[in-house]
Amino acid sequence: MSTQDGKIDGETLQPERKVSRRKFLRVTGGAAGAALLVACGAAPTTSSGATGGQATTSAAGASGGATAAAAGAAAGGSSGDVQFWDMVWGPNAYIDTAKKVVDQFNQANPKIKASYQSNPWSSWPQVFTTAVGSGTAPDVSTGGGYQAIQFYPQGAILEIDDVVATFKPDDFLPGQVEAMKFNGHYVALPWGIDIRIPFYRKDMFDKAGVKPPTTWDELRPALKKLTSGNQYGIAFPGNDNAAWQGMWGFVINNGGGLFSKEGKLDVMNDRTVEALTFISNLVKDGVVHPGSAGFSGDDMMKAFSSATTAMVMFVPGTEERVTPETKQNVQLLAPMTGPHGDKGTLLFANNLMLYKQTKNPDATKAFLKWWSANSLPIWTEGKAGNLPARTSIAKDPYFQNNVYLKRILDEWVPIGKLTGANASGTFPVLADIDMGGAMKTMASDILQGQDVKAALQKLEAAIKGYKTFKG
Amino acid sequence: MSTRAIPSPSRELRPPKRSPRFDSFPFILLLPSALLITLINIYPFATGFYYSLQDGTLLQSGAFVGLANFVQLFSMPDFLHALWFSMLFAVFSVFGSWVLGLLLALLLNQEIPARGFFRVALLLPWIIPSIVSIVSWRWMISDQSGLVNVMLQAFGLKPIYFLSTGRWATFSVIVVKIWRSFPFMLLSLLAALQTINRESYEAAGIDGSGSWQAFRYITLPHLLPISFVLWILMTIWSVNDFETPWLLTQGGPSNATENLSVLAYRYTFLLNNVGIGAAISFFTMLLLMVFAIVLLRRQRETT
Amino acid sequence: MHTHKPLVRWSLFGLACVLVIVIDMPIISLILNSFRSTAEILASTSLVPKSPSLLNYVYVAQRTSFFRYLLNSLVMAGGGMALSILAATLAGYVLSRFRTGIFQAYGTGLFLVQMFPILLALIPLFILFRTLGLVNTPYSVIIMYTVAQLPFATSMFRAFFDGIPHDLEEAARIDGANRLQGFALVVLPLAGPAIAAVAIFAFLFSYNEYLIASVMLRRESLFTIPVGIQQFMQQYSTDWGSLMAAAVMAMLPTFVLFLFIQKYMMYGAIGSGVKG
Repeated sequence: MSTQDGKIDGETLQPERKVSRRKFLRVTGGAAGAALLVACGAAPTTSSGATGGQATTSAAGASGGATAAAAGAAAGGSSGDVQFWDMVWGPNAYIDTAKKVVDQFNQANPKIKASYQSNPWSSWPQVFTTAVGSGTAPDVSTGGGYQAIQFYPQGAILEIDDVVATFKPDDFLPGQVEAMKFNGHYVALPWGIDIRIPFYRKDMFDKAGVKPPTTWDELRPALKKLTSGNQYGIAFPGNDNAAWQGMWGFVINNGGGLFSKEGKLDVMNDRTVEALTFISNLVKDGVVHPGSAGFSGDDMMKAFSSATTAMVMFVPGTEERVTPETKQNVQLLAPMTGPHGDKGTLLFANNLMLYKQTKNPDATKAFLKWWSANSLPIWTEGKAGNLPARTSIAKDPYFQNNVYLKRILDEWVPIGKLTGANASGTFPVLADIDMGGAMKTMASDILQGQDVKAALQKLEAAIKGYKTFKG
Repeated sequence: MSTRAIPSPSRELRPPKRSPRFDSFPFILLLPSALLITLINIYPFATGFYYSLQDGTLLQSGAFVGLANFVQLFSMPDFLHALWFSMLFAVFSVFGSWVLGLLLALLLNQEIPARGFFRVALLLPWIIPSIVSIVSWRWMISDQSGLVNVMLQAFGLKPIYFLSTGRWATFSVIVVKIWRSFPFMLLSLLAALQTINRESYEAAGIDGSGSWQAFRYITLPHLLPISFVLWILMTIWSVNDFETPWLLTQGGPSNATENLSVLAYRYTFLLNNVGIGAAISFFTMLLLMVFAIVLLRRQRETT
Repeated sequence: MHTHKPLVRWSLFGLACVLVIVIDMPIISLILNSFRSTAEILASTSLVPKSPSLLNYVYVAQRTSFFRYLLNSLVMAGGGMALSILAATLAGYVLSRFRTGIFQAYGTGLFLVQMFPILLALIPLFILFRTLGLVNTPYSVIIMYTVAQLPFATSMFRAFFDGIPHDLEEAARIDGANRLQGFALVVLPLAGPAIAAVAIFAFLFSYNEYLIASVMLRRESLFTIPVGIQQFMQQYSTDWGSLMAAAVMAMLPTFVLFLFIQKYMMYGAIGSGVKG
């Protein structure tokens, strides 16, 4: 390209100056106003799209609310739109199945139009916070284990005491509904149980001549025997929350926890220190996979699949994540007895929460009740990774005929406790503890061989610094 | 193509003739840009600053606390560490990607067979989404069966768990950042290299362009102006980089690779403490502005 | 450019080959892994798949909304690219030709706003877009992508226009063209290389962007590829096979674009316009 290329053909450039300036104004005006034009053009699209339930237009929302209120007053079937945001709880088939179950609901409840929106895990903190903060929350959603109590103090969550009152005590597995209670109110309805449980490789145990341990005293020498060369006794995924959760399984196994029964922060209690010292000693023994501090869940599964680690403390469905040949060798360990005779592990109550922004509370509650009773296919077809909280669903042959799932339900779930142990119910600081990173740091510290008490003091200081921390 | 693709800033451009009355022409041309910037940047900027003076969450504004959040930052060990790590991360990744980009640009500036292919192949790290490339990196370095460790073991070395100790994780995050950023350096430096006349070398009495002398006295000074710009831009992008540390290590192990962006995210979205989160963001911005202004002054002095 | 002896040329060629293999290894392993099942990816220690299969690609093509995501990505990245080129050529021209205080200040301001972290802006912007009725439309994302590119694109255009002599416009003026015509018909046609460079920067940024799209688009039919492929990730496990196949498929359009446009990029007026 050279200057000559830019030669001007004078003939073509003769228009009068004023005219073209005006023309220019029009052109630039159009360009500058593009955003505004776009805005105008888009507004109708959005409101017509509001059947999707997104409360972007007050008109659609208000009329929906009015209808719902009227229907509620008539005490007949409720009606209106219900937008349901769901996390990805299983493999690819999960989303399709969940959509299908929502369709079934719509067929059974012609007056209500429920819609389904799947949310990737990687963006859920900003997605939900943005949605709630800008007044575009869904009507009902699943989410993080402590999401309901995270948003509740900020006035975003609808209490569902009336819904809970319609259930019988044995509709849910023991303790699940109570796990949703804060200040005498129910902030969410449990639907699934997530739990940390130890799996081991039978082939590696057999080769090392090790019997599955039943107590901690047996576990330590067993792991030593299982360790040789590039092969290790146990691994944790330190890059993932599952690492501290797995360790906390041991803490609860020993009767420890973050809180006293009265709900006071009690990080440095003897049982907790003892349990984590036990893990720390395993690290010092060299039986914990040296990559643990940086492992993701998948790295840990890679080590487990390739027989470089004999044991993992992980999630239900771990056995499904190895090749079929390896699966025959993956076994579930029975609950071990701690040094003081306790048993237990860490459990999460996955929950469905309603948002105060809902325009159709009655329809949403109807959806909630229906989903709670009828969502069996999300496990049987959608292969959701957790276990059902609803007794009627847990009785299904899908769970009862699966040796792993049945054993988890029978042996492990009854001894599971929540992150808030040994306090009961749920409370706001748990959301920050669950998500805020301090627990993960504590686990990484221990996996990197640092002093247990120092790691716990750091954790305690972090929790005390949380805004939600109350005495 | 002419040699003016990378112009040296010429200050003596003649100002266009201006009539004494108000000239609306440039303002009209600026309108789309200014409108968009005001809409998308200034308004959230103001809101963000307002957050930083409050003690609230993203959902509820809290009490007005003045500069208390900013003061509090300096008593937070995680902030001080993130500040230190951000500087480390920026310095090494800017320098590393500049050096790698420069070496590759010098190579691609030679007449070698299939140059066009290499040009595209070496820019590939730039064209894939970060989530995907970082997943691939994790697969290569995170455990003993990863490719890098398989090779180390083949040479009889012990496997290294690159993401499992603070030091190695710091090293790895920087390496991955360099890998993601060098193509931009390469591209820009190559463009600048192609504007050097062979005559410059001859005029300087240096024999050929391949010698160290030629590089030291002709090539490097020629690349200096654009390098200043690249350093500034890359520093901004490194300090504000959320994806590399978050996707690779989530700031771990034990916060070792947590930079200011990850820290701001953690406080804003995971801990619902938007006051601190916004204060971290504004502090970061202030730091970058000071840095950019200082470096731009230096640039003006040197060129 | 210099002519070397064949020996030198071919050893440089060999060096370049080695460098490409080493540097592109994460991408090579990504492509190889896309021909494996997820269980094999997790269990295998070798680079080359034992029994390569196209199942992941079949699954992604048939059972997921990949092509929908691709279309969305192309629309949003293309829209952001076009709009940012439009706004940035105009602004870059003004900043290049008018050097009085206010325009200098605008240039500096533009340079400074890119330091503002987008993370903090998400909620105010979400509220803004909701007011404008743009939430859950591609427009919100297009506008954000445009603005994200403006500082850099403007400075590139400004630097490029700095290199175009004023004589050209003045000659046009003498011939009777007005200033807009001087710009649009004389200067702009010369800006091809800069446009190509900005286009690819803007397109790549938008096409791979995740955070903005994940927050602004709350309906699956609007998801872009980076958001869509996150659906392969569960809380504790990921369908790596499908994810990697989708990633390779997503790479193709950018790769093709790159092949066509990279020649021009070498001449792009990259960078040097940041003069504060």
